[in-house]
Amino acid sequence: MSWVVVARKDFEDAIRSRWLQGLTALFVGLVALIAAISLPPEGQTVSTNAVLGGSFVGLLSGTLAPLIALVVAYSAVSGERESGSLKLLLSLPHSRADVVFGKVAGRAAALSTAIIVGFVVPAVILAFGPLELDVLTYIGYTLLVALLVSVFVAIAVGWSAAAPSQRTALAGAIGLYFLFVPFWDAVRFPLQFALQSLPEWVPVSATAVSNALFLINPASAFRGLTGALLRGQLFAGETAALQVSALSMLLFWLLAAPLAGLYVFQRRDL
Amino acid sequence: MSAIQLSSVTKRFGDVDAVRDLDLTVETGEIYGFLGPNGAGKSTTINMVLDLVRPTEGTITVLDEPVDTAGAALRERIGVLPEGFDVYSRLSGRKHVAFAIESKDADDDPNEILDRVGLGEAADRPAGGYSKGMRQRLALGMALVGEPELLILDEPGTGLDPAGAKEMRAIVREEAARGATVFFSSHVLGQVEAVCDRVGILHEGELKAEDSIDGLRDASEAEETLILTVDDATDDDLDPVRAIDGVSGAAIDGTMVTVACEAAVKSDAIATLGEAGVEVRDIETESTSLEELFLSYTDGEGVVERDEPASTDRPAPTPEGGR
Repeated sequence: MSWVVVARKDFEDAIRSRWLQGLTALFVGLVALIAAISLPPEGQTVSTNAVLGGSFVGLLSGTLAPLIALVVAYSAVSGERESGSLKLLLSLPHSRADVVFGKVAGRAAALSTAIIVGFVVPAVILAFGPLELDVLTYIGYTLLVALLVSVFVAIAVGWSAAAPSQRTALAGAIGLYFLFVPFWDAVRFPLQFALQSLPEWVPVSATAVSNALFLINPASAFRGLTGALLRGQLFAGETAALQVSALSMLLFWLLAAPLAGLYVFQRRDL
Repeated sequence: MSAIQLSSVTKRFGDVDAVRDLDLTVETGEIYGFLGPNGAGKSTTINMVLDLVRPTEGTITVLDEPVDTAGAALRERIGVLPEGFDVYSRLSGRKHVAFAIESKDADDDPNEILDRVGLGEAADRPAGGYSKGMRQRLALGMALVGEPELLILDEPGTGLDPAGAKEMRAIVREEAARGATVFFSSHVLGQVEAVCDRVGILHEGELKAEDSIDGLRDASEAEETLILTVDDATDDDLDPVRAIDGVSGAAIDGTMVTVACEAAVKSDAIATLGEAGVEVRDIETESTSLEELFLSYTDGEGVVERDEPASTDRPAPTPEGGR
């Protein structure tokens, strides 16, 4: 399994990156800070779920996690191409597909590891305060953050493989961030409006269109899933079907983005 | 069985032919020197052999397998030192070699390989801190992993000092003695001359000559260099001279024209130049050395030194009588 070898090397390389370490520390530090300042007055208890579900943590995970993933992964392939280390990699018995999928796996694993280890810090603060630490939900939440960063790593690596230069890779990563994070609603609502009055023969309801436009963005799909998790209704309740779609959408991005990048990368002179 | 075979290979970048209609065969077990000035198309050729760049036309086989369909498995049988590569700056030299061993599913000992290329001391330092020469040694070490049947070394002398270049040549000889085929590119004649069984000279994307060093030397001894002082001439005026059978090259520098040719066609060359409207004022002849032969094939570009300079990055010296 050649891509596993590439992934393992990329993991070792990425985990030593100052950017990865610094940004993860910042993210986790901010979550810990929010946990610390949400400590309730003496004698009262608040569930950790309330802290995680609070708007600050939600905002942090939804905006900072994709940013870290894009910063860590945007140059995964294009940067190696520009520096020449890709030549060293492809001189060994690795195919270009091994490189792209190995990079996705290696960087996603490195970043997920950093986040999972990092989330222990806020957990300790939450556990020793007068808060009730809901361990399972906390672990679930951490894993969903890891999934979200992995999806954005996959998108960034796919784009990095397709980008003709390091500069396009960077511009694309910035563009993708703004599209998916701050500007998504600005894109979504006009589209939703335009698609509202579909002709009769199109077998798709306006609600389905609206849901699809919501879930196509991995950051929204993540918000949908974490919301349900913190309500204690993961894959249950009224939105169960929608949650399955959200998870499927995340898994779709995880595979489709690198595949699309690989399609272009395969045909390129290096 | 041939180790590398290129048939009618052309690579076009935009409207520039980097490599033109190249036929080249490297036989199993030989050390083949691929010589030519910078920009001659050597690295483009090697990148096509490695399937990093796809030819516009023509076919390439390595160890009798077509490179475009053989896939990554073919590279388990070859060792490559690419040109213009970079290391993973955060990973140590040992990690690099271990990665190559794991990638090739080999059972080499990383320490042995690192000692062999002279990096034993620096094995645990991050490769980002290595000098150019150390990076070159590291990549050579990675190429040696798994006792490959074929070694492809693109400008392996880059950044090495004379002692390093000598060690590198010793490794090339050891590998050949083990039975490996070595394909070795350089723009320095001296590096190739010292180790190669056969040499091909590439210039402007075309193979200008291919022979053993002895064969080339014989050819060079049969050649003479005409040094003509003329009133006024352009490079275009030399084209009919270059077209004469027996003329291997011609160059102009101000009012001095140099023609490398067989002794028998000297007078033809002078007459042809006269027909082109160039007045010849003075004629001198010199017998040609291997160096001059190389330079004549490459229009005076390229490096002939035998004692490798500390850094081959410095510009090639302009040869006497070159342009």
